[in-house]
Amino acid sequence: MTIDEKLTILTESAKYDVSCSSSGSTREENYGGLGATGTSGVCHAYSADGRCISLLKILLTNYCIYDCSYCINRISNDRPRAAFTPREVAELTINFYKRNYIEGLFLSSGIISNEDHTMSLLLKTLQLLRHEYHFNGYIHVKLIPGAAQELIIATSLLADRVSSNIELPSSKSLQLLAPEKTKEKVFLPLLQAKNYALENGKRPIGMSTQMIIGATPESDFEIMRLSDSLYSKAMLKRVYYSAYIPVNNDKNLPALNVPPPLLREHRLYQADWLLRFYDFKVDEIVNEEHPYLDERFDPKLAWALRNLHYFPIEINRAEKETLLRIPGFGARSVQKILRARRQKQLSTNDLIAMKISLKSARYFITVGGKQPEKTLMSYEALEYKLLALPKPLPTAQPTLFDHFASISGEL
Amino acid sequence: MIWRYDGSFEGFLSSVVQSYTDKTLPDLLTKSEVDIGLFDEILDISTNTKDALKLLHAIEKQLGEKIKEKIYHTFLCDDQPFENDLLRYIRLGFKEPSLLEMISHPLVYAIEEYQKRTLRTIHKMNAFSRFETLEDGTLYAQISPPRNVLPLMGGHFKKRFKHERFIIHDLKRSMALIYDGHSLELHNIHDYDLPQRSFDEEKYQHLWKRFFDHVAISERLNPNLQRSHVPLLYREWMCEF
Ligand code: SF4
Repeated sequence: MTIDEKLTILTESAKYDVSCSSSGSTREENYGGLGATGTSGVCHAYSADGRCISLLKILLTNYCIYDCSYCINRISNDRPRAAFTPREVAELTINFYKRNYIEGLFLSSGIISNEDHTMSLLLKTLQLLRHEYHFNGYIHVKLIPGAAQELIIATSLLADRVSSNIELPSSKSLQLLAPEKTKEKVFLPLLQAKNYALENGKRPIGMSTQMIIGATPESDFEIMRLSDSLYSKAMLKRVYYSAYIPVNNDKNLPALNVPPPLLREHRLYQADWLLRFYDFKVDEIVNEEHPYLDERFDPKLAWALRNLHYFPIEINRAEKETLLRIPGFGARSVQKILRARRQKQLSTNDLIAMKISLKSARYFITVGGKQPEKTLMSYEALEYKLLALPKPLPTAQPTLFDHFASISGEL
Repeated sequence: MIWRYDGSFEGFLSSVVQSYTDKTLPDLLTKSEVDIGLFDEILDISTNTKDALKLLHAIEKQLGEKIKEKIYHTFLCDDQPFENDLLRYIRLGFKEPSLLEMISHPLVYAIEEYQKRTLRTIHKMNAFSRFETLEDGTLYAQISPPRNVLPLMGGHFKKRFKHERFIIHDLKRSMALIYDGHSLELHNIHDYDLPQRSFDEEKYQHLWKRFFDHVAISERLNPNLQRSHVPLLYREWMCEF
């Protein structure tokens, strides 16, 4: 089989994994030769689905001995199979990197023969890249649950980021759809890598996981609660959400013609963002009473509408944390306001001069004691008005968010 | 009165110096290549490198490194008629330095916007420039960015290609940034022979295109989103399009 054919098959099989960011490497080792990593990622291209291409995202092989119901590579599917050698992957990475196509490699794999064998092939690839090609760019590698601890640790020492996908948000769903996997088994390699780093005084490597949205019946509340517990234990840097695209005919899964729940995925990313950067608690966003995110509004606006007593907020006085809670104000707008109001008392015209959008914010603020728009502060009246606003395109996708992590995220 | 300068940074700074010596402001300050009306009164500013450097020094000392950078970034935003604003901005700074902190001031806001455009373009060019490997292993990229960002692209690529040799060639402005494995230099390029590519260059372009086409998820096609991230004008030199 030619490299060309392999690349086609192993790209096709890898594309459903959405975590493809190249940001936030804290690796201290320098492998000398080609490449550098930065704190913010770089999107080198955007594919026809509008997603950022930052890494060469491929599987080492799509052969797999398992039969996870939701997975296109499961053993019971009749698909073309292929396997790269570690050297082929290394050559591709180096040659793509030199041409400025990519920031590095995102390598994952089906389980070929057994877990240890697969993990050692992944390790071999990283060893080639780091030690023989002296590649110093970004490498994200999927750890193989069930592989030997030494292999896991050796691999994570060479990578910038490791991940292990939980895929399904509850143990019940896992048991039903991926009986070989349990939550504990999936997270074990991450724990091993983390503990090793801590015990040896190294900075823990960035870790992430992915959840498939809409394949199983968990509510947004259950999903966010799981994310929150993973973040708060400082276990993970990122949780990715992937709207389920039916690839297999299976009685336990949505039918093949069900479209992926893209809006729901988008709202989950926004909620996740509020959790990580805006100091929101899960309960404020979703709870027993409101287990699903409102698809009509972004979660910050939805929260504001349920908490009108919190408003209006005077933009000349409010603290940074309070300003960040105003719907439609992102970190950037808040930064501008904080900077400008040191010089003078701000007026509505000043806000407009600084190109701060008041589209939805106007209903929630006062500027020098006056409201930019006289409005009835009742849920119904506001909901009606806000629904009439033109909708921005849902553009959320993980890497975009990662990318502007510190400056943007206008919710 | 219309003032014209030669388009260089030194030339622009010389115009600022001129406005101080003449104690006057032009109605319009523009590059000499820009067309103007037949009956306009014109003054051609002569570029004086010594004066320009002196002014730059004063800017750095009195207004600070950050403002100096802002001025340079604005200057590189060469698809915009920034000259009038920048001239007045510099004069405002010397008169009342604290005003430069006030982003609700229209001039200050305008300059921030020019700078942002430049910085955004650098970011895009760092990501979207495509290199080819030449016979001797040199990495070679042709670009034609909407703003004059080539002078600011060196650091980024030097970091990644420390031990390589590379050339980034701005065809629109006939300039090239050349790195020989040790130091970076900016050159004017008026004539050049199309370099010979390495034997496997085509293979890797083809493989990249393969990857690019197959990584997209057909259930999620979204050409509008793709276009908003990679505007058409950047695609000319991107081999995957
Ligand atoms: S183990 Fe991984 S590759 Fe194999 S079937 Fe399950 S999800 Fe797919």
